Formats: sequence, C-alpha cells, structure tokens
Amino acid sequence: MQQPSEEPERNSECSAGTSGESTAVRQHESTPGGGVEPKEPLIQLYLADSVPLLWRSAHVKLARERLGVVGAAVGSLARQPRQNCRLSRPVQLLWEEARFLLENGRAELVKALKPQNYEQEIQSYAHYLERNHEEQQTFALEEKKQVLKRVMEDKCKDGASAPSSIQSVKGSLDSLESSFKFPCSAVMVQLCTARARFSYTPEERLWLSAELANPVDERQKVRYRVFSDLREKGYYLTSAGKFGGDYLVYPGDPLRFHAHFIAVCVPLDKETPFSDYLSLSRLGSNVKKTILLCSPSQTDANYVHYTSIQWSGMV
Amino acid sequence: MAEAEERNAVDSGSAWTDELLSPSELFSVRTRDHKIPTRGQKEFLYDGSEEQVERLQWSLGEHWKLLSEERAERQGSLVKAEWKPEDVTVELKTPAGKFWQTMGYADEGKQFLQPEEALFLMECGSVEVFYRDLPLSIQEGYELLLGDKTISLLEYLVFSHLKRLGYIVNRFDSSAVPSVYERRLNLVHKREKQSKQQRKRKRSASARRSDDISEGQPDSQDVQNRREKAGDDVFMEGTSSDSQKAVGMNYFSSSAISSEDVCHELPSNSEQKRPDWWEKKSEEAPSPGRPVYFKQSAGKRDLNKVLFPNLGRDCLHTNLEIPNACLLPSNVTAKACNISSWREKLNMRQMRLTRREREELEKKNKYKRGVNEDKEVRACKNWQEYKQLLERRSQSSSEQRPAHLWNDAVCPLVTPGQVSSTGDLLQQISIMQASHLVDDAVGLVADTCDKRITFDVYQADTAFDFKKSDPGKPYSRISVCSFEDPVPSLHTLKRLAQQSGDVPVTFAVVDNGDISFYSFKDFWLPTDVWQ
Repeated sequence: MQQPSEEPERNSECSAGTSGESTAVRQHESTPGGGVEPKEPLIQLYLADSVPLLWRSAHVKLARERLGVVGAAVGSLARQPRQNCRLSRPVQLLWEEARFLLENGRAELVKALKPQNYEQEIQSYAHYLERNHEEQQTFALEEKKQVLKRVMEDKCKDGASAPSSIQSVKGSLDSLESSFKFPCSAVMVQLCTARARFSYTPEERLWLSAELANPVDERQKVRYRVFSDLREKGYYLTSAGKFGGDYLVYPGDPLRFHAHFIAVCVPLDKETPFSDYLSLSRLGSNVKKTILLCSPSQTDANYVHYTSIQWSGMV
Repeated sequence: MAEAEERNAVDSGSAWTDELLSPSELFSVRTRDHKIPTRGQKEFLYDGSEEQVERLQWSLGEHWKLLSEERAERQGSLVKAEWKPEDVTVELKTPAGKFWQTMGYADEGKQFLQPEEALFLMECGSVEVFYRDLPLSIQEGYELLLGDKTISLLEYLVFSHLKRLGYIVNRFDSSAVPSVYERRLNLVHKREKQSKQQRKRKRSASARRSDDISEGQPDSQDVQNRREKAGDDVFMEGTSSDSQKAVGMNYFSSSAISSEDVCHELPSNSEQKRPDWWEKKSEEAPSPGRPVYFKQSAGKRDLNKVLFPNLGRDCLHTNLEIPNACLLPSNVTAKACNISSWREKLNMRQMRLTRREREELEKKNKYKRGVNEDKEVRACKNWQEYKQLLERRSQSSSEQRPAHLWNDAVCPLVTPGQVSSTGDLLQQISIMQASHLVDDAVGLVADTCDKRITFDVYQADTAFDFKKSDPGKPYSRISVCSFEDPVPSLHTLKRLAQQSGDVPVTFAVVDNGDISFYSFKDFWLPTDVWQ
C-alpha cells in the first residue's frame, strides 16, 4: 500500500480556467487522447466550514485504496439512514489528510460556482423527468407481462384450473398494452448525493487555500510531519480524540485491523511533566494499545523520533 | 451488479455521470437489499496471507458498495419542498409526511422545515428540496442549508447523529426557558400556555415578552404583567393543591401582599363601571361551582375582572365588616361585604388526614410557636404597637448579654437567636461559601467565549405522544464544541447552565466525525449536620 510518489503535473492544468465553461467537462478528463495509460482523476476536496469533505464515491475509494487516506464518513447511509453504525458520504478528512492529498498532487480543492443558465437547466430537467417516466413505464410493463405469462404457464401446466380462468389471464395479458398505466407517483427518482446532472455547475479550482496550504501553528506542523511520516511507512491513521491522542495507528485498513498504537505528537523541545506520560501510558495499557510519542527531528526534516512507554517490573 | 460494472466501463472518466442512475437502475432499486452487512471480527496483525487479503478485499467491496449507493425513492413518497434563502427556511410544497409530528412548524397556513431538518430528511430520502425549480443534491444541501445564518457543519453533525438515534431535536430558544423569577413563582404552566398560542407564529415572536419579564423594566405594562402573573399563580396553586388545604389554607393570607397590590389598582380603574367582586351576582359565574377567577387564568387577563376572595376555612363570619383602617396600609381602601355566596362555592369538607400525615404534622409543629399564642403580641392593637414590642424585646435581650463578651472589638460570631438550627449555624460561621452551577458567576472573569446552547433534545420514546406545540421539558440541551476547543471555563459553564434552567446541559464534542457527549454535574459535598 505504499503510494507512488510520481506527481501529476499540476501546472499544465491550471493554464486555462475552467470556470468560464458552461459544460461540465474537466480538463484532465478530456485529454485521454494522449494514448498512455488513463490517468487517475484528481480527488476533489470541498470545504464546508473549513472542514474538507469528499463527496464522490470514486474519490473516496481512490483516497483510501491508493493513498491510505481513510477519513470519516459522516452522512446517513442510503439504504438505512436512521442508524449510526454505518455511515456514508460525505467523508470528512482531517486537516492533515487533506493536506497530504494536496501535497502529493492527488487532489484539488474545488468550490461551486453559481450556475449560469437556469432556464435551460430547468427545461432539460423536465425533459429528463419525462424520459425517465417513459423508460420506467416500459420496464414496469415488461415486468407485469412476465408475471402474467408466468401465471398463465403455471395454470396451463397445472391442468386443474378452469379454462375460463386461463382465458381471463390471457385476456388481461392481451389488453395490457392498452390498459397499463404507470402513475407518476410510482416513478423512482434519484436524490443525488454529490452535485450532479443539471445543477452540476462548473467548479472553480482553488489553487491556494491559506488554511490547507500552510500549517497555522506549531502543533499543526508537528502533527502533519508525524502524519505523513507514518503514512509513508504504510500505516493507516485515524483520529484518536477519544483516546486522548493525536492518531490511532493501524497496521492495515481500519476496516479489518485493530489499531496498535496511539500516536501522541510531542515536539522535541517541549517539556512535559512526567505525570502526563504516566497518565498516557496508564490509558494506553487500559485499551491495550501502545502509546507512541512522536517527535519530528529538528535537524533532519525527514526524520521522526518514535518513543513508546511500557510499564516495567522490578523484582 | 452487472449493470453497474457496465456503466462504469462506459463513462468511468466523467466526473458526475457515474453517480447518476439510469432509468433501468432506478427501476431496479425498488428491490434493493436493505440489510447492512456485518463487519465481523477485526484482525490484529498484518500477516500477508492470502486469506487475509481476501477478507480485506471482501470487506472493502462491501464498504464501497454501501458507500456508493445512491438514494432513489418513489416520487409519490417524496415530499417536495422549496428552499427559501431570504427567509432561511424550507417551505413544503406537498403535504408533509410522518415526520411532521416531531419536525417543522406552520406559519400562516404554510408548512415549513428548519434548514437542518430539511437536510436531514433529504438524507433520509423523505424530502426532495428544490431551489430555483431544480432539485438539490445532498452536497448542495450541505452547501446551501448550513452556514452562518443557520447552523454550522459541526452542529449539523451532532443534530443528524441524534436524529438518527431517534431523538427529537429542536433548536434551542432561550426565550422559551422560564427565567429564574418565573421559576421561583412557579409560572411555568402559564408560560407553556402562552407558547402554545405563539408557536404557530414565527418562533422569535415569543422573545419580547420574556425579555420584559426577565429584565424587569419598570414600565407600567410590565408591572401590570407581573401582577397579573403573580395573582394568577397564587390562585392556580390555591386551587390545584386541594389536598394541602388543611395545612396550607393560610395560603390566602400569605398571598395577601400580592393580592393587595392588585386590589389597590382596582378603584381607580373601575369605580363606576364595575361592581366589586363580592357584589357580583352568582349568575355571572361561568359555571356553577367554579369560581370566576379560574376561568380567566386561561386567556389574557383583564385586571378589572380579577377576583380575590380571601376566606379562611375557619372563618365563621359571612358578613365581613369594614376592616379597621389602622390595620391596613395607608393606600388601601376597603368595604364591608357578605361572603356567604362564596362560602357555598368553596369545598368546605374537613380534610381527613391519615395517622401518618397527622404525626408528621405534629412533628413539624412541635417546636414552632404561633405568634398568636404570645399574650403580649395579642395585646397589641395595631402594627405600630407590635413593632414597638419587637423593638423592646430585642433591646432587652442585648442588654442581658455579658459585657465582657459583647462589648469588645472581638465578639461571638453568632448572636443568640440569630440561627435556629445547627445547619444554619455552620452556614453562618463558614468562611468559604459553597457555590452551585446555577449561581451567579460573581467574581469570575468573564470570557469572550461564544459558546451557546444549540439544541433541545427530547427522548426518543416520547415520540408518539410528542406535541410540537407543547414539547414540555427537554431531556437535555446540547452545546456543540470541537475537540480542538479548550474546555469551557467555569464562567461559560455557569452562563449556559443558567440559560438552560433546570435542564442539564450536555456538551457534544466532535472529533473528525466522532461525537462524544460530556456533561458537568453539580456536586454537593455531603454534610454531617442536617436540618
């Protein structure tokens, strides 16, 4: 699960602004003519209240399977919305996760623009509804036919049923075409999760987001260095707020594995009372995880010191 | 599945069409599985074995299937609504569904949802929200319906978390919480009646009245309001607690201050127009056996109609003569009256106490001495004499004190008679006073923290007899914080606890999608001495 470090060239893409186009064609998608292997689309990050969110399932999948960025699903699950065990899109990312994606050139920050041509979109929406109704009607008709046919076959095979009843089924099957009605209320309509279809507006890429591009304070700087180092070592990370640490460290995908460590980010030069470490290790042993003190090196930008605490016995 | 793969193959590159269902897919959604796959036991070590990889792939497959599932509903079961950004509300265009029992509000015959309610119902596949005649996706819902004017994303996460668990969650309205003053006078019932009438209108409309009361502006309207309320309350209590009558019949006498307050306004307003209550004909009573004042407590009170019969059950005289003027405050006038018609309406049955109740009563009164048993007091002819008597007594008691104890700079902490119980004594001589969460934050540094209570939460099992117009007391109130925020200061805690009144405040702390709930509880140190 090591992510490849090749960086998709960002600069070639920012040359022409996509914001002016009314159609929703993304530049990096419209250039498959290059002939080489189809490039992976950039993961689109949306900011809501300065929280980075992923909306498209393809992007969530890409982030998790290729880059090991897990995030946390916060939306209701489509098939069973009223429970909290399994949640769905949107997927909320940690600040460090979003930055990690951006730094690796695998994501872009996008922002919705106001759609420009309402009349046209309303028209095409009405058209879509009409077509949707028609097509579903043909499916429903077909389904009904199949049911009736099966009923007739069963009756013929049975032999016991009166010929009049077979006749009546046959009659209704014949008149089905003309009598069949598929009411509007029975049409299935989609409630889109991510922005799509006619309301899909050209989106403006935000190249520089002050919040995501640069760590705000020293703590964020330390946290990010620890995050990227552990991620590059192949670990999966999630937030460890409820364990009193910074990250929970998993040996593999959190879907299948237990976390081994609770990572606590401590700058090297920070003086911490010993009681803090005691309470941390006490907590760690209670939840059967190892406390990992992570301190980025002050001399080597790519090195992080890891220390773990263990109770020791004295005989 | 085959269809889905085919679709992916056709337009995998496009940014949005791959999440759009085709009519055939939409049609097949009706037979979709609604079960959630179980996750199974997690593993501890990454051993790289084939089975492990297989299990991981299978789990991930399930995960992606769940995550990429799109919502599709029958058009007939979707409630259509429209987002109105100018009013920051969502108006229903078709009749509401079952959710109407716990969500939404009506205004001028139209049905509305709060933005967060609409967004949650969108996520549940119950409501389709339109904006400029186009349906909103969930994403657009998050972008449009959340923000500065409504609630933040963090607050919405908490809201939807609680809603998914089945709780009834309303926005917190500080004006709906009875003030300390109202609570002390037990005006809560009255309050609820008012809010019932006002909730149908815009929610904020109820704010003014309560501000009047809590801030206590001395304008005449306010004073009058208070009097109405005070008087009303006294009678509500007096009539509702029939069982206490034997013990608490002195209620009327203890309420004398408030009723006199009201009485003395009477003459100026109603001298000619209206007869006094005791002259009122019995036919005017709304229903036989029910005093007039009771009915009027429901609507807006006309002060001129408020009636105050002050009769004790032990009062044998039905003909009340004009009270001696020197017994009354100078600005109160009085008349003679006959109360026999009132006596008939009162429940004069002797209250029968059980033996236990009697014993308790005796125990209670064992060490109490009625002021009337004092002969010297009975000898007093008016207030002035009584006060003089008290003065005399206190002087004589201080004269008897030994001089070497009391006349120096250092003297006993407590004077005799100052306290009546050991508990009081300890309270008197304690240096550090205990403070409670709802006490005023005197002496604490005010912080600029903008923490607020966002939601009222009602328990899930009340859902089927829950009334939006009369929600009752919430189970808890929620204030939303982030894990990054510092722990709220004592000042903030006190402010929120005061705002919330007698309902506990719970802090919902959000950490990257994980929500934990914490609350601060008041704690009383146990004392050995009680009473």
